[in-house]
Amino acid sequence: MLEDKLLIWKFNRGNREVLHRIYEKYKDGLVTLAGALLHDVDEAEDAVHDVFVGFIRSSGSFKLTGSLRGYLATCVANNARNRMRSQRRRQCVPLDEAGLPASSSEDAAYCAVFGEQLRQLNEGLGWLSYEQREVVLLRIYSGLKFKAIAESQGVSISTVQGRYRYGLEKLRSLLNSEVER
Amino acid sequence: MRPAEKIEKMITKLELKASARLDEEVHDAISAALDKSKQTTSATVKPGVWRIIMNNRISKLAAAAVIMVVAALAITFMGRFTAPAYGLEQSIEANHSVRYIYIKDFRAGEDEPRQFWSELDESGQVKNVRMDFPEWAGSGDGPKIIVWKDNKAQVWLKKKKILITITDKAVADHMLKWVEECDPKLAVEHLYERQARGEVKIQIVQPSNKSEVISVTATYLPESSKPNVRWVMSVDQGTKLVTAIQVYQLKGGEWQYTSVMEFYDYNKPIDASMFALNEEVPDDAMRIDQTTQEIGLPKGELTDEQIAAEVARQFFKALIAKDYTMAGKLFEGIPAEKLQEGLGHVKFLRIISIGPAAPHPIAAIAAMGGLIVPCTVEIEKDGKLVQWKLDRIGVRPVHSQPNRWTIFGGI
Repeated sequence: MLEDKLLIWKFNRGNREVLHRIYEKYKDGLVTLAGALLHDVDEAEDAVHDVFVGFIRSSGSFKLTGSLRGYLATCVANNARNRMRSQRRRQCVPLDEAGLPASSSEDAAYCAVFGEQLRQLNEGLGWLSYEQREVVLLRIYSGLKFKAIAESQGVSISTVQGRYRYGLEKLRSLLNSEVER
Repeated sequence: MRPAEKIEKMITKLELKASARLDEEVHDAISAALDKSKQTTSATVKPGVWRIIMNNRISKLAAAAVIMVVAALAITFMGRFTAPAYGLEQSIEANHSVRYIYIKDFRAGEDEPRQFWSELDESGQVKNVRMDFPEWAGSGDGPKIIVWKDNKAQVWLKKKKILITITDKAVADHMLKWVEECDPKLAVEHLYERQARGEVKIQIVQPSNKSEVISVTATYLPESSKPNVRWVMSVDQGTKLVTAIQVYQLKGGEWQYTSVMEFYDYNKPIDASMFALNEEVPDDAMRIDQTTQEIGLPKGELTDEQIAAEVARQFFKALIAKDYTMAGKLFEGIPAEKLQEGLGHVKFLRIISIGPAAPHPIAAIAAMGGLIVPCTVEIEKDGKLVQWKLDRIGVRPVHSQPNRWTIFGGI
């Protein structure tokens, strides 16, 4: 917390040296978020790479307010959303029907890095609509407030809350046997 | 645990590691941006002027003449003006290499200073901080030492002989405020920024005797955020590091001294034991670790006043039942045996009245949401029933546990 405030303080004063530290501090969390959103480790790393390159280019031209973690998570989610949209355009098949998450979650490398314990969750997340998945992850994993998520997605807070509620419900029913065990 | 909570917990456990390839790519991109930024700065100033001069034929001739004169002057005065005049940016640059610093912060009218020891990591981020507060700076706690290390704060209350370990946003914010107040690096950057914005008038006196310090007087202009404030900064001529900052305030037409910060031992490694209070605190001190146990009561849907009164009520109920474990939990997590040691001789019989809660009389505590709950309880003393009025029971949110409230201080 203390460090974040100092990082923002320095970033806002054009000190680009802090970018190394910001990257080191948040890289794993951002790759995880992107990975859970995109279900593809390489795509996830590309998304994080793009976000940081953009962040580096824009440093000095804008001032950060609020949470550094929240800001970066929102950027990653926006990038992942764009990637997902272009994937959809390429595939011309709705995500839910394409069964993309389930097949992706069979990726051995992906399962290996997340571990068997979380494989079910990962697969369950994959069965949510992309919008629900994004809300659930941004809220729970990245700790963003509904208001911030709504602004990021360009929808109302109640829509975001609805996506969250339905997403969690769906996840619960999908994982019920695993969770209750 | 409810299934939804289990799912939430599982989601927070998701973890991927960034690959070495990504690390390399991003760090390279940052380094390239840094290099480009440095090149851009020099390219936009020096060649820009040169290009304007050399694009004009008459200017070319004039420039040639100027070069000759300058060369002659340079030879004449070489040795007298080899060192460039001091500018704040030199101190900013010098601060980049600082890893350790020891600070004394004196206030007008107080003999003892606040003392700070700060260790920074390689990227200049605060790693460990130790702050020694004398009585006057203790906010009612008496003299105390605070150490911030590994995202945990340890507070050693010397008079009360209590060592509290907490991890908390409010504490982090306070630490940041203190760091900002006393960090010479931030102070210089702050001045540099204000100077650029035209909010301060800066006068620099650089004595020819290199053993004397450079004096930087920064006077905040009336329309600035700190009107009537003046800083006088002393800068070592050799290292360009700040050795002291004196602060003055304009009162009745005169600049009156309010504080001075002195900076010592730049880059002299600080012994690790300075950041390890466990070794320094005596064995018989009370140790309360709020990072490993739940403190107080959850607020739930109650108002601040209601939860404060409820915590006080439950505390006395626990004392009546001689449940010192519960009472300790409601009183900052004090160990049961310590609480029994302190209050075991009192026989609590019944609660006569609790509340109403009111804002804490100490402004700093009230600002953190602290309330005071007047209580009257019946106790047995020397075989007689006595009404014990306690008018300074403080109740506040637990620092590191959102939505939980605890009794604090003394009763």
